[in-house]
Amino acid sequence: MFVLPPPPRYPTQAAYNAAVGTGQVAPMIETNNILTSPSGPEYQFLVGEGLYVLKEDLHLATPPPHPSEAPIVNPNPLATTPPPATAGTKLSLANLDVRPLPAAFYRVTSPSSGLQQSIQEHPDESKSSSEARESSSEAGRIASSDVLLIVSNAPAFGEGNALLAPPNSKDANKRRKPKNNVTKSNSSFISRVIVHETLNKRLQDRPSDGLFAFANINRAFQWLDLSSPSKAEYLTKILFTKAHCLCHDVNLLTKSSSHIDVIMGFSTGEIIWWEPISQRYTRLNKNGIINGTPVSEIRWIPGSEHLFLAAHMDGSLVVYDKEKEDATFSADEEAGAGLQTNGEVNSDTASKGVSNSSQIQINKSVHSKNQKSNPVAVWKLSNQRINAFAFSPDHRHLAVVSEDGSLRIIDYLKEELLDLFYSYYGGLICVCWSPDGKYVLTGGQDDLISIWCPSESALIARCQGHHSWVTSVAFDPWRCDDKNYRFGSVGEDRRICLWDFSVGMLHRPKAASVHHHQRGGSVSSRLVSLQRAESSQNGYGAGEEAAEKILPHAVEPRSRTAMLPPVLSKTIDEDPLCWIDFTQDAILTSCKSGHLRTWSRPSDTSPQLDEETDSSQV
Amino acid sequence: MAGFFNKLKGAGTGISKADSNAAPKNKKEEPAPELTPLEKLLQNAGPVREDGSDKFFGLENFGNTCYCNSIVQALYYSEPFRENVVRYPPFTPSDTPDGKPRKVNVSIRAPVQANGAAGGAGKGQKPATSAQAIKQRHAVNGQALPGQPVRPEDRPDSPEYKKKQSMIRGPVLELAQENPDAYGMEECTFTGLKDIFTALIESNTRIGVLSPQRFLDIFKRDNELFRNSQHQDAHEFYGLVLNDVIANVEANAKRMQERDESRNKDGLAQSVHSALGASTALQSKAEPGTRTPGTGWVHDIFEGVLVSETRCLTCETASQRDETFLDLSIDLEEHSSVTSCLQNFSAEEMLCERNKFHCDHCGGLQEAEKRMKIKKLPKVLALHLKRFKYTEDYSRLQKLFHRVVYPYHLRMFNTTDDAADPDRMYELYAVVIHIGGNAYHGHYVSVIKTKDRGWLLFDDEMVEPVDKHFVRNFFGDKPGMACAYVLFYQEVEFDKVREEMDAEGPEEVRLASQKVDVALGTTEQPNGTATVPLSKLNTQPLPPLDEGHDAMPTLGHAQSAPGDIASTVPLPLSPVQPDQSEIHPLVAAPLPDPAAMTAADEAATIPPKSKDDKLRDKKEQKAQEKARKAAEKEQARIAEKQRFEKQAKIREAQKSEQEQLQKALQESKLLAAEDGKKRKKETADSVPEVGSYEKPSGFLNRASRGSKSMTRKSLAFLNKGGDKGDKDKEKEKEKDKASDKSDRSDKGESSSVAASSSAAAAPTEGSLQQNGGSHSPTQPQTQEKGPETAAPDKDKPDKHPLKERFSFGLGKKKSGKFLS
Repeated sequence: MFVLPPPPRYPTQAAYNAAVGTGQVAPMIETNNILTSPSGPEYQFLVGEGLYVLKEDLHLATPPPHPSEAPIVNPNPLATTPPPATAGTKLSLANLDVRPLPAAFYRVTSPSSGLQQSIQEHPDESKSSSEARESSSEAGRIASSDVLLIVSNAPAFGEGNALLAPPNSKDANKRRKPKNNVTKSNSSFISRVIVHETLNKRLQDRPSDGLFAFANINRAFQWLDLSSPSKAEYLTKILFTKAHCLCHDVNLLTKSSSHIDVIMGFSTGEIIWWEPISQRYTRLNKNGIINGTPVSEIRWIPGSEHLFLAAHMDGSLVVYDKEKEDATFSADEEAGAGLQTNGEVNSDTASKGVSNSSQIQINKSVHSKNQKSNPVAVWKLSNQRINAFAFSPDHRHLAVVSEDGSLRIIDYLKEELLDLFYSYYGGLICVCWSPDGKYVLTGGQDDLISIWCPSESALIARCQGHHSWVTSVAFDPWRCDDKNYRFGSVGEDRRICLWDFSVGMLHRPKAASVHHHQRGGSVSSRLVSLQRAESSQNGYGAGEEAAEKILPHAVEPRSRTAMLPPVLSKTIDEDPLCWIDFTQDAILTSCKSGHLRTWSRPSDTSPQLDEETDSSQV
Repeated sequence: MAGFFNKLKGAGTGISKADSNAAPKNKKEEPAPELTPLEKLLQNAGPVREDGSDKFFGLENFGNTCYCNSIVQALYYSEPFRENVVRYPPFTPSDTPDGKPRKVNVSIRAPVQANGAAGGAGKGQKPATSAQAIKQRHAVNGQALPGQPVRPEDRPDSPEYKKKQSMIRGPVLELAQENPDAYGMEECTFTGLKDIFTALIESNTRIGVLSPQRFLDIFKRDNELFRNSQHQDAHEFYGLVLNDVIANVEANAKRMQERDESRNKDGLAQSVHSALGASTALQSKAEPGTRTPGTGWVHDIFEGVLVSETRCLTCETASQRDETFLDLSIDLEEHSSVTSCLQNFSAEEMLCERNKFHCDHCGGLQEAEKRMKIKKLPKVLALHLKRFKYTEDYSRLQKLFHRVVYPYHLRMFNTTDDAADPDRMYELYAVVIHIGGNAYHGHYVSVIKTKDRGWLLFDDEMVEPVDKHFVRNFFGDKPGMACAYVLFYQEVEFDKVREEMDAEGPEEVRLASQKVDVALGTTEQPNGTATVPLSKLNTQPLPPLDEGHDAMPTLGHAQSAPGDIASTVPLPLSPVQPDQSEIHPLVAAPLPDPAAMTAADEAATIPPKSKDDKLRDKKEQKAQEKARKAAEKEQARIAEKQRFEKQAKIREAQKSEQEQLQKALQESKLLAAEDGKKRKKETADSVPEVGSYEKPSGFLNRASRGSKSMTRKSLAFLNKGGDKGDKDKEKEKEKDKASDKSDRSDKGESSSVAASSSAAAAPTEGSLQQNGGSHSPTQPQTQEKGPETAAPDKDKPDKHPLKERFSFGLGKKKSGKFLS
């Protein structure tokens, strides 16, 4: 191992930009991560339940440009050269240990709703889903509010298509590793891989419930152990030559102490499946053979060991199999093939040029008989860039948000568009589901977070408190219960906002009460519908009138929509924030320049006890 | 990508044309011309439309008139405004039978010879009359420029080159002649604007350059503060133009009304009036104050109504007052959005301490709460981002480089409960961008969304298609100091927005795949990624324009470091350098040896790879890739070497510049403090340096930097050498004017902006410095007081955000009239 040079001369992106702006070739050098724990009133915030304090700030080092690639120096501010796609630091968290779940998670499985039982009548029969459950009990769960494994009695994605059955399910514990060794790779895609010299020792010594984190920063990708005292030292760092990793995800089903499936999407459109413990990787969508646009979001399909979903910037969602080879994909061929080989499957398959607002265009169905190679399925939503998507906790639905301001609710098992909503104005940037699957949150360029209830096809409230675009939202499952929900958001304004949202406590807008003209009644009906949503417990009351629904929904006027103020709004970083998540002990945030901040929860309260006292003061 | 490539190609052949061919050029007649991106865009465009929505003309710059060009373009592409301007007045006095206005008096300028500096030249001049301007232009065109390094306008990818080519290509529409009585109105700002619009619409080509000389002459005649050729505030210009237009149209309507009444009192006047403005009837309902019939449209398009509600905390009496606005000037917050800044605009505010409210009910100065909301939303919403902040301690306007994001679409949160259509959706259609380090220098361009040709960049003479994402480059945090300054939003139907998004889909897909190309570095752009690093450095475009550059000492750098043309800019601010360098932390630290650095990096990268060669995984690695990588490495090595050599050369030359630049970015306070000193030196230094200016550096500067102000200065020096007599006289005059100005603003009649521009005017004339410059800090404080804040409050201008918010309400209109 070589000696790493001293800390960065350009501690911030702004300074770097300034240097580049002067026309000088910025001498960036390889750097180490820096761990600090600043204290003071600006590093803590007070909410009803107590004081959150900054535990530590881990500054991930921005790597210098690749040696072969002189930094792009073009100080002409009017240059029409488009900038390459890049993304601020986001994290994928993985915890190898099993921990007690926050109460909110259990509600999904709550048997109180007979209705729900009746819809999900599918007995779980498929190999993959039974295997899924088996391995889920073994693999445990993570500490983030991400998708959970316990729940779903929904069928597995692609069930019924025998061709999609896992190739060898004989030995579930022996996971297949990717093909190539990343440390010995001489691919031009990967510039350098730095493995911590005592990686194995560190892996052995760490507490079993410790949190792993995977983080992107510029052209680097780091594997961190957040439970380690020396967490600033990455376990592994991969430097890519030119491509920036824009998104990544860890498979929560397959993770174990000997195997972690990490998937990364790149600005070049390529995808890498990486197994960090064996340091092996596979490239997918190589040279954009399947889709030639950058990947803006990527996630493992919940409950699946080998299928994941990638959102490409041309507005398509593509399902890949991590173990399948790439094959050139043309929508037309596939449509034709779909018809010939499998005429009855889906009449939509062939219908080209469908209106994007009423259905999704299925360029390749998961039920297609042609499953020898990737892609497994291709859905074209629109031509607008998809910014984010999220799987519902019941493993049936997908919420997708786009740059055109649309929120689509999709039944990905049936490959059907269920609903289409629009933001108040501007693009939507982030989306997440409540732990019980009842509500969807979106944040976007209208500076708002919108709470949607898909089962009611309704906008519940808009949340106003950010001073700029909202870049990430997440529920705090440890502070959610039957009626009260806590969620947090971060934005370009460098602020964190915390929100308490409780059914029935929403204020009717002032304007509506002042003006009792034609729309007077609708607010109360909204509240009624809220309660109904509440009683119908989980997800979709029934497939109901989904078919006849006229899409999309009109944008709700302000006078008819409840406005929710935050319980907390505070500037917590120097750069625009791009990610937030909750763990049992802390709130994690990250910003564009790579500051990963851990905010400890109030120390004196136990999350379980806290539920009763946690009354939301709206 | 293809677009950009073509741009280059087009530009490339442009050079050969310019060099080899001295004959007049008309693009349309060339057999197989290489097309500019704009021409390419307009291929197969079908017949020219009647409404002028497919005319894409550059506007000539006469030296610092980019503020005008950027605003005029934004106004032209506001469809309702353009239509109404062209339609009004509906009758010519001669009562042309068909009701059509007479043709505008347009002349097409003789094509320039290509051996000179063409259209790029002479702009730094300060033409006294339009005729003279043309003469001067031709005179300068003849100049030969021997022994110069590559001029910025000779590099095909430079804006200067493109501007020059636009002028060469033509046609150049001159609107320089007097055009009296064409519309039965006296010559005024409105007729000037109308001339421009009509000329563009009537032009039989889609592209070209229009010379708005006459319009500017008229405008300057009516607006004293602009009667110089300094850098001006585009937003201020916008407000004055609109106010002028409103005043002109109203005056005319009144005149016609009177005339009609006197001529025929049989009620015919009524019918005329109803014909005059369709919106008159509409207007009469909502109109605050008096309005002359027939002029509804001018109010209708840009004018909104604000309600300011003040609640006295003593007696709880709430009083309301309506005010009209033509735009909203919003304060900026670091890392915020336009939405949020608009909310702050309407945030509740306490009137207390020295800023108490005179309550009519309790009869005295009381503490009060005040907030402003929008009662009537305008059709076109102009948002002025207050990037130029007057800081008390430094007595000048500083530019705020806050990152303020703006969405493509917008709705207003801060409407009153009884506002009509409070959820009205707006779409961004034009952004006026200021490039530069402070309020006194810089350049304006506009990026405008056209009806069906997407977004175009209008940079004076140059018009260039850009993609939608380009619009987002001006949030304020990018290098280059280009920030959105005025945002124009126009009302739009949500359904139309959705349709449009569907329609622009394929383009979005193309952009998305283009991003991949960029990421892969497979594009062959001169300023692109990895192909030829050496050439990249050589063709490195101009450094952003910055006040710091004013200090570039000599021309010598130009030869030794061709990549850094900015160093040829000779402006004499250098005396301040030493103390700045001590202060800047980044620069103060010695630069590490880049060679050592890169070598280390290479050492770290390459050895493991060569080892790996043996273990190469055959499946993954195709032979091709190997070759490519080898080539890449080779290139990298060359690049390293070149870069190192270059660095060594440049570093010395750059050092002082860096200090200057970074200084200006982060420590411009100091500069401000020393402003006065600098100015003095500048004028003192300038005369001895005339020799070094003699070469074409004067307009080279202008062209290369896009900074009109500097050129003006340098050329002013030139002129001083030439005919001192005239100059001195003019100086005298300006002095008088400026002192007039400061007098007036002392009386509290002038707006803060006006005061600031007089402050801007002062420093360039050394003799005025004490007069204007030192007074200016106090001027804004005495600006128009709202009626409710009677308390004199001289030292805290920032405590009156209310007043500053309205740049151009009706009150301002009055002061505008006063000025004229």
